[in-house]
Amino acid sequence: MSQQEQTAAAPARQRGLSIDAWAVLLAFVLAALVRAGVFKHIPW
Amino acid sequence: MAGTVALPQVRPVNPALQFLKVIPGVLLLAAVGYAGKLLEANVGKYAKAHHWTFPNIEYVLWAILIGLAISNTVGVPEIFRAGVATYEFWLKAGIVLLGARFLLGDVLKLGGASLALVGIEIVVAIAFMTFLGRAFGLKPKLTSLLAVGSAVCGVSAIIATKGAIDADDEDSSFAIAAILALGALALFTFPLIGHALHLSDHAYGVWSGLAVDNTAEAAAAGALYSDAAGKLAVLTKTTRNALIGFVVLAYAFYWASRGQAQAVGNKALFLWQKFPKFVLGFLLISALATAAFFSKDQISALANLSRWAFLLTFAGVGLRTNFKALSKQGLKPFAVGAIGEVVIAAFTLGLVFAAQRVFHW
Repeated sequence: MSQQEQTAAAPARQRGLSIDAWAVLLAFVLAALVRAGVFKHIPW
Repeated sequence: MAGTVALPQVRPVNPALQFLKVIPGVLLLAAVGYAGKLLEANVGKYAKAHHWTFPNIEYVLWAILIGLAISNTVGVPEIFRAGVATYEFWLKAGIVLLGARFLLGDVLKLGGASLALVGIEIVVAIAFMTFLGRAFGLKPKLTSLLAVGSAVCGVSAIIATKGAIDADDEDSSFAIAAILALGALALFTFPLIGHALHLSDHAYGVWSGLAVDNTAEAAAAGALYSDAAGKLAVLTKTTRNALIGFVVLAYAFYWASRGQAQAVGNKALFLWQKFPKFVLGFLLISALATAAFFSKDQISALANLSRWAFLLTFAGVGLRTNFKALSKQGLKPFAVGAIGEVVIAAFTLGLVFAAQRVFHW
């Protein structure tokens, strides 16, 4: 990888959480809300 | 400025703007998915009331069909595209929540059995796709991408490998198109084959998880058969996904040794970066459910949340599949992918039959 490409790639790596991490976070927040009784029943 | 390279500018993204941008597409996913649910509930009733013979079509298939109809006729307007692209996000959130429906002991038992099958599948798929790619005269890096896509986990694996082996954008778009087109075909062929062979939910679910490449399509192919098969398909596919880092690392070493990719520095960090984090989330939720952290009603609520997340995913599978765009990517990679997929599907079916005898599924 050239120096220019490295420079360009660096900000992309620092953009924060990955889609995986956001999905896990959302799932945990939902699980916590269900556990806390905020969502008592989710219909299907 | 001689010798400089024009690079795309990385602009700071306003999170609020980004959030607003995905809302229309997410609403479209919800509308298509919910329409699928309504059709499942009402078409059967209507047909029965009018004494028509009509097969019971599950919401999964309705949602995919509505999505395909939109995508391949009027197309998905620009305003919806960012939101439609979030279907993978909903898939991963759904998989984590699905962990509540598995006791950790079952995960380890089923995952252990799947791991052995997945290991065999990966080795055979890579060897066969590499042979086919050479036989058809495909470019070596395109062959590598197709091999990884069919052996591990479709689009995510291709994207991860593209970066690791410095493959061309064109090669990766060929490989992704072939894997997506074949995944769409699997949605319609796998359930028919499963029913024709009278496969049990367990055997069919493991087969879908082993042979269908993209996680969304594997989950959909399983759910089209039955709820239980859908669970097993996701578990087996998640086991396959967990191995992505090792396969990408092996390819990175191979291409680096030939001087055609950057050498891998910290191997542990590389593996961690490529490891799909939602697998850990799935295991943690499963561990919490096993430790009775959730009541029975709460587990049922989490299972339903997981179903809603999958509903958005299945709508997205249809909406992002455009056959015209896929067909423009060229016949050769598709032919290699198709032959490879048929052989891998037949081989994994044989593996599942053998495992059925050993594990008494």
